[in-house]
Amino acid sequence: MAELWGIIGGLSEIRGFQVVWENLPYFLEGALITIEVTALSVAMGMVLGLFAGLFRLSHRVLLRSVAIAYIDFFRGTPLFVQILLLHFGILPYFGINEAFTSAIIACGLNSGAYIGEIVRAGIQAVDKGQMEAARSLGMNERQAMTYVILPQAYKIVIPPLINEFIALLKDTSLVSTIAVAELTYRGNLVYANTYQAAWVWGAVAVIYFIITKSLGLFGDYVERRLKTE
Amino acid sequence: MIDIVDVYKSFGKLEVLKGINLHIDQQEVVCVIGPSGSGKSTLLRCINQLEKVEKGHIYVDGEEVTDPKTDINRVRQKMGMVFQHFNLFPHKTTLENITLAPIKIKGVPKEEAIEMAMSLLRKVGLEDKAHVYPANLSGGQKQRVAIARALAMQPKVMLFDEPTSALDPEMVGEVLAVMKDLALEGMTMVVVTHEMGFAREVGDRVIFMDEGQIVEEGTPEEIFNNPKNSRTQSFLSKVL
Ligand SMILES: Nc1ncnc2c1ncn2[C@@H]1O[C@H](COP(=O)(O)OP(=O)(O)OP(=O)(O)O)[C@@H](O)[C@H]1O
Ligand SMILES: [Mg+2]
Repeated sequence: MAELWGIIGGLSEIRGFQVVWENLPYFLEGALITIEVTALSVAMGMVLGLFAGLFRLSHRVLLRSVAIAYIDFFRGTPLFVQILLLHFGILPYFGINEAFTSAIIACGLNSGAYIGEIVRAGIQAVDKGQMEAARSLGMNERQAMTYVILPQAYKIVIPPLINEFIALLKDTSLVSTIAVAELTYRGNLVYANTYQAAWVWGAVAVIYFIITKSLGLFGDYVERRLKTE
Repeated sequence: MIDIVDVYKSFGKLEVLKGINLHIDQQEVVCVIGPSGSGKSTLLRCINQLEKVEKGHIYVDGEEVTDPKTDINRVRQKMGMVFQHFNLFPHKTTLENITLAPIKIKGVPKEEAIEMAMSLLRKVGLEDKAHVYPANLSGGQKQRVAIARALAMQPKVMLFDEPTSALDPEMVGEVLAVMKDLALEGMTMVVVTHEMGFAREVGDRVIFMDEGQIVEEGTPEEIFNNPKNSRTQSFLSKVL
């Protein structure tokens, strides 16, 4: 115990440690905003992704084309560019100028495209005989999806969905470029004032890691639960 | 009950049905036999439009299923289909498997649907399995549930595609027994099968298919004891 205090006493002499320690509440608040941006984006992405995935598999050419164009564009261009394009180039025309809102729209659209592919793969992984059995009972395509296919696809979809959640959480660091005061943005500010690169970015990295690791463990738990179900 | 008129079906370049004509009466039990790849499943799947035909017409209970204007979902309710691999819904219990379509599609009140499902389960001898998931049923039990599920829509025709081919030998009998009961009750049935004993005993008529055509048809007596076509003869000499 005495040794531990000794170590902390020693650390508190170091300038970088002092910077991190003093800014810890500021960083944690940023982490909360990071989580908020991620959660809202994923919520939007799940709705978009469900429709993108369903439309992607639709027999209607128009729906399918729209879904393909959407998925291809957002997976085929950098999120960084999408954020800049939406925030400065497109959303102002819709009266949206607030960086936080832009960030969620950009990240939501981006994750919707990835989730769309996850949903498509999940639906396709359900045995073909399930759709046939449902249709042979007189269900239309929509009923078969709702009552038979999607309830089975969701189990297949959850693990990759949690991976997407984690990937997006890390990618939200890019919205620091439009001055959303999330974790990376705050790291940048503190670094600019102190030049303690190793300590500041080290602390930021550790905070990100703690969040993604917790999500990952939660994902493993859910996966185990689904398997035994 | 079912009229198939000059039906053709191809998968890409492969011609699978080459001019099928078949009339099936109400209450008739027609067994379809023939070598692998001869188009038996495809014919059955065309009847309920799981496959679209290229040419020709199919009528079920007076409605043309091959007419794009027909509401196929409504007509499919008149045809129960039983698959080789059961295709039970794994996320639903036995009871829910049976009640799902009546409740959601037909709008049958829940209590009524459950009551009917229980009486169907009694009929196939699986009353005690009502709340079990398919994963915990044997193959024979699964197929009996699948039959009950199809019957719950109160169909006028039942289509069976090799319902016992995926079963361990000791479970074949229990499924055939259920099918036989159904035939005795007067259900119109089309049964694709390799169970020659069943075709002989329960079938009113046997159809022998080869290479996308109906090569020979007749009573079980005629087909099994006195086949006229040489292809029928050689097929039967291999399977009997
Ligand atoms: N969806 C499909 N796409 C392409 N070819 C198919 C498809 N379904 C069936 N076929 C082909 O059509 C032919 C007839 O198939 P079908 O399943 O009707 O035969 P079957 O008489 O039922 O044979 P089995 O006794 O093996 O079940 C086969 O050559 C098969 O490979
Ligand atoms: Mg077959």
